[in-house]
Amino acid sequence: MKSIGRHAPAGVGVAVLTWGALLLLVLAAPATRLAAQTQTDAPESPFFTTFNPPAFDFNDAFYTANGINVSRLDTPGAARFGLFRKTGPPAPNGFVNWVVDNTGTDPDRNNVRILATTGGYIDDGTGAPTQFISIFAFLQDQSFFTGVANARGTQMADVVSNFEAYAALKQIDSHGVFRPTPCGTMGNGTTPCFPVTSVATPALRQDWRFATNRNPIDHSAPFGYFCDDILGMWIITYFWFIDTGFGPHQTAQCHQMLTALGGKNGLTLDGTPIIKTGDELNFLEGSVVGSNPIPGFLGTNPPSPACAAEGKEDTGGADGGAVWLVCPALPDPRNGAITLDAFLDQVHRPNGFPVDPALTVNFLCLQIFGAFCSELQPGQRAAAMQLVGKQQPAAAR
Amino acid sequence: MPDTRGKNVSRRHFVRLAAATAAAAAGPLLRFPGGAWAQQARPKTLRIAKWAHFLPEYDRWFEGVLAREWGERHDTRVIVDHVPVEEVGARAAAEAAARQGHDLFMFPWPPAEYRQQVIDHTEIYQAVSVRHGNVDRLGHRSTFDPKTKQYFAFADSWMPAPLCYFEDTWATVGMPLGPLHYDSLRSGGQRLRAKLGIPCGLALAPSLESNVTLHSLLMAFHGGVLDEQGNVVINTGARTVAALKYVKALYEDAGSPEQLGWGPAGNVPAMLARKTSCTVNAISLLRAAEASDPAVAGKIRLSPPLAGSAGVMAVPHVTNCSVVWKFAENPEGAKQFLTELIDSSKAIYERSLGCNFPIYQKTVPDLIVRLENDSRGDPPYKYKELKDALHWTANLGFPGFANPVAMEVFNTFVIPRMFVSVVKGELGPEETARAAEVEVKRIAEKWKQV
Repeated sequence: MKSIGRHAPAGVGVAVLTWGALLLLVLAAPATRLAAQTQTDAPESPFFTTFNPPAFDFNDAFYTANGINVSRLDTPGAARFGLFRKTGPPAPNGFVNWVVDNTGTDPDRNNVRILATTGGYIDDGTGAPTQFISIFAFLQDQSFFTGVANARGTQMADVVSNFEAYAALKQIDSHGVFRPTPCGTMGNGTTPCFPVTSVATPALRQDWRFATNRNPIDHSAPFGYFCDDILGMWIITYFWFIDTGFGPHQTAQCHQMLTALGGKNGLTLDGTPIIKTGDELNFLEGSVVGSNPIPGFLGTNPPSPACAAEGKEDTGGADGGAVWLVCPALPDPRNGAITLDAFLDQVHRPNGFPVDPALTVNFLCLQIFGAFCSELQPGQRAAAMQLVGKQQPAAAR
Repeated sequence: MPDTRGKNVSRRHFVRLAAATAAAAAGPLLRFPGGAWAQQARPKTLRIAKWAHFLPEYDRWFEGVLAREWGERHDTRVIVDHVPVEEVGARAAAEAAARQGHDLFMFPWPPAEYRQQVIDHTEIYQAVSVRHGNVDRLGHRSTFDPKTKQYFAFADSWMPAPLCYFEDTWATVGMPLGPLHYDSLRSGGQRLRAKLGIPCGLALAPSLESNVTLHSLLMAFHGGVLDEQGNVVINTGARTVAALKYVKALYEDAGSPEQLGWGPAGNVPAMLARKTSCTVNAISLLRAAEASDPAVAGKIRLSPPLAGSAGVMAVPHVTNCSVVWKFAENPEGAKQFLTELIDSSKAIYERSLGCNFPIYQKTVPDLIVRLENDSRGDPPYKYKELKDALHWTANLGFPGFANPVAMEVFNTFVIPRMFVSVVKGELGPEETARAAEVEVKRIAEKWKQV
């Protein structure tokens, strides 16, 4: 980002000022304040043509047809948006997570439009901060599935097992103690352990990674996310650094690798490196991957012992947290899918600055100009960058 | 053809007529260039060694109908010897060493170790492709040798290896859909054993079932024996050790000592007697239950393989691979038999009660419809869990091709022995992984010399 600003032509400065003034006007109009949000239409940006719809919750009939128990969904534990969690994380103070909007025309959706837009990395190997999902509900055990197959004869529980949303819970507690193992069934029974009962943004050390790219064509999965996972569901894969990976018992090998990866990707709220790709995580877990994803290390040998681990919550609900999410990714977040009253749900540092500003910038480019930053003119891009940390409500401050 | 009714037929005409009649009768059938089998004047013999199917009635049909009728069409006496699965390796090795035995040997796995004792099967694949299209990915990667660019075997069918579990048993711990992933297999299995005293029933003692179960588990844990280039990676990194620790914990939390004493297919009677809550097996287990105890069968459900850190994947329970030995006395007949075998894929699927999935998809075009409404299934849609099986099944040898090293590791039970050693506490996970690495490297070195 810095390099763009430094090497931008002189005219860009003028363009930034112009765009900046326009942006302030546009963003001021749909201020997503609580008082104004009992019912609202999606405000549109004047800078692009809108043709991608924003995210609305599915209606009950569609959930039922796809094997989801609506009565379980409509409970406080599942926190289905539209019924619960109008305020509170991820929405910052004074903002709401969803609004009622009767302009939608999709027969499979209801009138609850989701404003909270969670950002994350794509799982295609690049780790690009280009994925945006909309929170609908959290599923804690198998009772959320009716066992009824969908119209294609497939159980949703079988489909969703292939689509992982990678959650990174904080491992440093409020006393500054590193907790190398999750509490509950994923852990090894030792303490201190970190709780796995919430994946709300304040509980995370870094942003999510979403496997939207998996599909049967390249044999990465038996199903395709946008083809078969029509509720946009995820199974949550929790990943963490183990005692040999970080903390007082860290091995020299893990220390070197984590330092190198932190230099490449930046650090999480715990001071551990941000993990953006599957190869990075798999390698730190001790798997042989195609090529070494850690800078400065040659060869293909992963660390042994491993530096990291991953797991999934008990599907019987023994862990008390979310096993699955109904949080569909926006198939194409451009041209209106991210409305002007939406807000980005991402991990922030205590000073309010995002852990990964690239995610913020992409969100702003999409929201204001209807395109990814890489598709914009330098002036537009620079204007969006200026808003980072200013306009966005910082949910985790 | 001239009308010969009521006419005197000269000897020359008779010979022509007989030849034309034979050609017409065999019209739909494919022949190799030269049609050597068709020119054979006197009856020949085709000797087939075939692994004994899990369903005896299938073998009776194979020998009594399919092979007999083929023999009648081709003026050949077909002899089928059924070899128990656990004896297949020794019998094949003995034949290869003696350079005599059967013409055709049908294995339940890719016999890559015999690539030098068998013909190149490319011409069979080519002949079949005319009628049924190209071989699918599983068949190709199970029988092709990328070094020599030859096929060392011919694959006609395969069996998926789903998870079989008791729905009512798992429902008692809130998992009526089964454990779904390996973490829940352990945590749910632990609660199940504590609550009902019913252990988890994965096969561990060396056998075909444990080989399939544990190769799949290792793969799902992002581990493996060889990488795509054939390098030994079983102890590179930490995934094998992680898998070993997992299985030890699974055994201690949710297993049973009986698992370590099971013989071939020992996991099946344990499930049928409801002594275990789940296992990995071909659907022959369910078919056996449907025949012997429909009430038990009604409670057994199938699900795709458990998800691990590498996703949802498994190796096949069986990859039906046939070879024509170089020393076969009737190689042309053996090749013709295999070529025409694919014409019977639909019957093979039906007679195996749905166990043998076709390698050539077009031969059973309504496979998914059949899986969604199985006449024996209770409920009839039970088998639809298998409709995506080809997508979650990887060949033995994955991520590479089935090669001699991978298959010798498979046939000498390196992986089950490794896991059992840790489960029994004979060695620690790290030591065991190192010992397995030494063994696999020795095998790899041996095949470099061949």
